[in-house]
Amino acid sequence: MMNSKAYYGEYGGQFVSESLMNTLNEIDEAFEEAIRDPEFMKEYHYYLKQYVGRETPLYLAERLSGKYGTKIYLKREDLNHTGAHKINNVIGQILLAKRMGKKKIIAETGAGQHGVATATGAALFDMECTVYMGKEDVKRQALNVMRMEMLGATVVSVESGSNTLKDATNEAIRTWAKTAEDTFYIIGSAIGPYPYPKMVREFQAVISREAKKQHMEAEGRLPDVVMACVGGGSNSIGMFADFIDEPEVELIGVEAAGKGIDTDEHAASMAKGRPGVLHGTRSYLLQDDDGNIQLAHSISAGLDYPGVGPEHAYLHDTGRAKYVPITDEEAMDALMELTQMEGIIPAIESAHAVAYAFKKAKEMTKDQSMIICLSGRGDKDVNTISDYLAGKGYLN
Amino acid sequence: MSANRIEKRLSELKERNEKTFITYITAGLPSMEKTADIIKAQKSTDIIELGIPFSDPIADGPVIQQASYEAILAGASLNKTFELMKRLRSEGVEKPIVFMLYYNTIANCGIERFVNRCRECGVDGLIVPDLPLEEQDSMKQALGGDDATILIELVSPVSKDRIPGILEGARGFVYCVSAMGVTGGAGEFHREVTDYLKYVKSVSKIPVMMGFGIREASDIEPMKNIIDGCIVGSHFINVMRDADFDPKAAKEYTDRFKEELKQ
Repeated sequence: MMNSKAYYGEYGGQFVSESLMNTLNEIDEAFEEAIRDPEFMKEYHYYLKQYVGRETPLYLAERLSGKYGTKIYLKREDLNHTGAHKINNVIGQILLAKRMGKKKIIAETGAGQHGVATATGAALFDMECTVYMGKEDVKRQALNVMRMEMLGATVVSVESGSNTLKDATNEAIRTWAKTAEDTFYIIGSAIGPYPYPKMVREFQAVISREAKKQHMEAEGRLPDVVMACVGGGSNSIGMFADFIDEPEVELIGVEAAGKGIDTDEHAASMAKGRPGVLHGTRSYLLQDDDGNIQLAHSISAGLDYPGVGPEHAYLHDTGRAKYVPITDEEAMDALMELTQMEGIIPAIESAHAVAYAFKKAKEMTKDQSMIICLSGRGDKDVNTISDYLAGKGYLN
Repeated sequence: MSANRIEKRLSELKERNEKTFITYITAGLPSMEKTADIIKAQKSTDIIELGIPFSDPIADGPVIQQASYEAILAGASLNKTFELMKRLRSEGVEKPIVFMLYYNTIANCGIERFVNRCRECGVDGLIVPDLPLEEQDSMKQALGGDDATILIELVSPVSKDRIPGILEGARGFVYCVSAMGVTGGAGEFHREVTDYLKYVKSVSKIPVMMGFGIREASDIEPMKNIIDGCIVGSHFINVMRDADFDPKAAKEYTDRFKEELKQ
């Protein structure tokens, strides 16, 4: 009976209510058909090029490379329209929703980046859009709430549980279970019931497809190391996708260690979590002795999630990718260093990958190279950064 | 006759040509003591659904979400609910009791260990709203064909061609969700609810129960002749809350509901 294609090893699956099973099967069928349809893929790539602004550059960070003694390339997802990689997946899923004849879309959002990207796509394709956001996040990401509302989306402030991304996702799933007959749920992370993790990977894989080609052009070979930050794991699975079958390329996912993985305030589900089931999928989760999901903490709202995508759990267990923790402080130091040495203000999420890159560079030579996925830009984070720098603690 | 308390009760009701009445309460709301008293007070209720609170109840509406949240804060857990069950059975409570819980609570306990504990403590059935047919293999394997604890299947108004497959080998009763979405929902049933219930009834070998959004016996009047019984959850929690969880209120409400079902 088990749907084995829904699994990555022992992770993944479809742990949703019976009401959603036919919907998931319909999406799966439509998705598999769409990605084999050259017309669909042509349209997807058209919007990525003409609307999102792809391809994004693979930039050799010269000063940082000089300082750390190895070639550091940045995959500039921060230069995408709306400021992060999230839009890649939104364009793919919204075109699929359109193809399936759905008129309404819903999404969950933490920091607001996926919400903004979804609201943007909804405006572009004239669809009715509702975004679910935890009450806490509505407060701390007021600017993104404003952007979504300007774009015509309805932002629902979710008041249940911890009032953050986890709870916004619960509410989006509940609403979806009620309205699936005419509503498409656009999930932004590499999580959720199958086929969502696969869809997100497919629509984010453009990151590694481009990066591989660009690195080949620049260096005539594959990179030695590829790294990206991991919350739910969408930019990282996109950054890994085309390198997974290249065993000589080392893959590193960087988790948010918050105030430290030995404290209670972190979001390191691989380092400190156990396998469990949340939001329709089986993967590593932060949970207590009773199996209740614990609150995550990270200075970056985008990594503030107590789970991780099922394919990452699989890559972790098989050893194909390595997952490492970076604290709030290390990420903020790296953010400032990248800003001041390269003139690029990264999102705090992406700064986690940058911070680990500096550590990793110490064991690399000047002929070797690494690619860091710079998943988003830091404009949305200036309030958090300013509070952090003023030593007032952060908004989180 | 089956040794399972649920199946035993259902066949007795069938003989008497009586509708089944099922209530839901969240274990440990406001305390395990009160939960025990509320269970004991319900003489008229045929089967009791006992919800194990979970931090992220995605199949539940606001009332049960809040109930779970408060129960967890008050210290409720799976282990404490097992202890409560053990106590109730040792005190001679023979009412059929079904656990309603989310899959992570089971996975966290370990499936084998969980099933053993259920048998030991007299848990008669399980309702797991986030465990659809495709994910039930290991659960069914652990339960085996044993009479002690059975898995209750859920179907929804949009299940359609999945229904025969779900009902194959199903035991106890089939839980028909009256509307898409979550528990609660105050009498708002799916627009095709009658056709859907008729269809389930026509293919089901076991009794058909309707749940979600039912408050009073009058809510199910239009479909009363199709179904074998109904489940009241969110509304029952509201009734209990309004009465400050007085077991007498549980008795009054369930006596009246069951009486109206007989008419």
